[in-house]
Amino acid sequence: MATTTIRVLSEVAGLLRAPQRVVPLFMKLASDDLRTTFEHRHLYSYATTIIPAADALQSVVGWILDAQRPDGGIAAYYSLLTGYSDSYPEVTGYIIPTLYDFDRMAGDTAARSAAERATRWLLSLQLQSSAFPGGLRSRGGDARPSVFNTGQVLQGLVRAHAETRNAEILERAVAAGDWLAAIQQGDGSWTGAAAYQGTAHTYYSMVSWALAQLADESGDQRHGAAADKNIDWVLTHVQPSGWIKGINLHGHPAYLHFVAYVIQGILECGILRRRDDAIQAAAKSAWVVLRKFETHKRLLGTYQADFKSGQKFSCLTGNAQMSCVWWRLFEVTSDLRFLNAALKMNEMLKQLLPLKGRRGVLGGVAGSYPIWGRYQPMRFISWGCKFLADALMMEQRLMRNFEASECA
Amino acid sequence: MRVVILCSSPYSETGCAVAARLAQVGYAPVGALTLPSWDRKTLLRKIGQWGLRHSLHYAVAKLVPGKAANRQQVLNPYLERSLRHDGGIFRSLQEVSRAFGFPVMTCGDQNSPGAVAQLKQWSPDLAIFTGGNILRDEVLKIPRLGVVNSHLALLPEIRGMSSPEWSLLCGVPLGITIHFMDRGIDTGPVLLYREFAGAGDCDSLTDLRNRMISEGIELIAEAVAGLDRGTVSAVPQADRETDRQFFVMHERLKAAAMRRLKKGEFNPVAGRCDG
Repeated sequence: MATTTIRVLSEVAGLLRAPQRVVPLFMKLASDDLRTTFEHRHLYSYATTIIPAADALQSVVGWILDAQRPDGGIAAYYSLLTGYSDSYPEVTGYIIPTLYDFDRMAGDTAARSAAERATRWLLSLQLQSSAFPGGLRSRGGDARPSVFNTGQVLQGLVRAHAETRNAEILERAVAAGDWLAAIQQGDGSWTGAAAYQGTAHTYYSMVSWALAQLADESGDQRHGAAADKNIDWVLTHVQPSGWIKGINLHGHPAYLHFVAYVIQGILECGILRRRDDAIQAAAKSAWVVLRKFETHKRLLGTYQADFKSGQKFSCLTGNAQMSCVWWRLFEVTSDLRFLNAALKMNEMLKQLLPLKGRRGVLGGVAGSYPIWGRYQPMRFISWGCKFLADALMMEQRLMRNFEASECA
Repeated sequence: MRVVILCSSPYSETGCAVAARLAQVGYAPVGALTLPSWDRKTLLRKIGQWGLRHSLHYAVAKLVPGKAANRQQVLNPYLERSLRHDGGIFRSLQEVSRAFGFPVMTCGDQNSPGAVAQLKQWSPDLAIFTGGNILRDEVLKIPRLGVVNSHLALLPEIRGMSSPEWSLLCGVPLGITIHFMDRGIDTGPVLLYREFAGAGDCDSLTDLRNRMISEGIELIAEAVAGLDRGTVSAVPQADRETDRQFFVMHERLKAAAMRRLKKGEFNPVAGRCDG
């Protein structure tokens, strides 16, 4: 309680330090209030393209580039109260592939340069143990190793090596992968001091995805085996309802962001490791979420076990992640219903994207919709932008292929 | 055979056409239960489905008497045969009811206590669903035989929304299924089905849908007569467990479905849509 109060007071104090933020804050509050009051979602919502994906993508990537700090890391968020945060290693790691993808798609060298600067910054953070630290890099930062952050940084390093063929990057990535494999528990999970809240989490399937990427890049199958072992453990948590238990966040509800992490990690790892069991489990869970979205034209911000109920705000990051999952499932299964839902989800997210506004707001993905929702309130968050950018790039690529095959 | 019509609006052309067609073949409804014409949700759904311009056009045609009377035309031209009568075109359920002598009741929700009480009072053998709410068990159990729906695709392959469009994209033959409704989405026992042979003549997805709706009404009339004479019986759907539900199709996929319709490709291979 005291921690929460201190956090709220510190956020509000940010507004006192920079009163010019009052205008965008009230504009966002007013626009979300109006939208939530008058919006009516129905069966036909989002079935029409109103905002082109390319325009939205340009804005979202623009937000990410603006969020790069002088040290090379990407800020975690832009708060309507306190402005930009410090650099955040975890998201900087997994934003690197997004920046390279955008460079390849749009020929944007600024994105490539940003990815290179981000990589250099990440390498400077690697700990003696070869792990990467958790938390924001503020005032010296937290130097304790973190399993999840190491996994997400690994995604960036693997991609950076694939793009640059810089041997040092691969060497560092392999060392980080070795650290992850070394501290993995016998059952395939990660627990202990380097795990968030000291406990095992199924959303660490995202770490397995990174290890699977590393195994493909380095050819060293030890990391692939570690990924398989963790996925085996995660799959023991799959429920008949499609829910995957074991998110294990004490003091937080299961935000859609984490639910989507679990599914995305299993799916991507399953694809790389050619594991049908993992793909099927992810598809089952993703289909349950798809039905909820198609029926209600929204997903809840949090879910309880077996997707039974939750809080009514929208966790936009989780929505963007589910879009990515559905695009990938369409790629893997050719089931057009995944593509259909992903198109609609992207449309919903594009409609909630600020396409006007000042730096930090323009093109930003809010933590919650409405902005005062429980997940990252009053903030535009870089990982939300990353997943939306990924989803929009998948839309462009897969719809181009689909429409070309239809016209052939 | 005591038949009631469940309708999404008193101005629903499909609802009017079903009521009129059944009356023409000797099964005049004993009542019709409809949602109100200016229900906010329906209006917003129509705007979402058709766009504002088309919805306004529709509203003006339906609600401005002089305008509609002058035009004497229907949105779905294939329903004209059912809707035309001596004095012109049936434009509302009230007009059909006056011609064939059955009551029309309006309710805010077809599952509401008032609607349930009215349905029970009519004591129907059969209800024909032409639109409205997702019906709860209590309503589904009122008609002695059940509630019948015309689904614009072959079951069990394509369940749910945008079914003709999904049939085109998934390479499933186009068709219409008349089935009893149960708690699931289009999972109830099948009475009749027919493959749709007229797709080659269609110049748009709307045209395709309109023709299929019209054929569905003929099939409903056949099913009612068949149930009355005991020549039609319900067959449970195979494969009830597989999730074959489809949802409203995005316009970019509809464009692909349209291309297939225009090219005459009704069984293409690019997309697979299994559960």
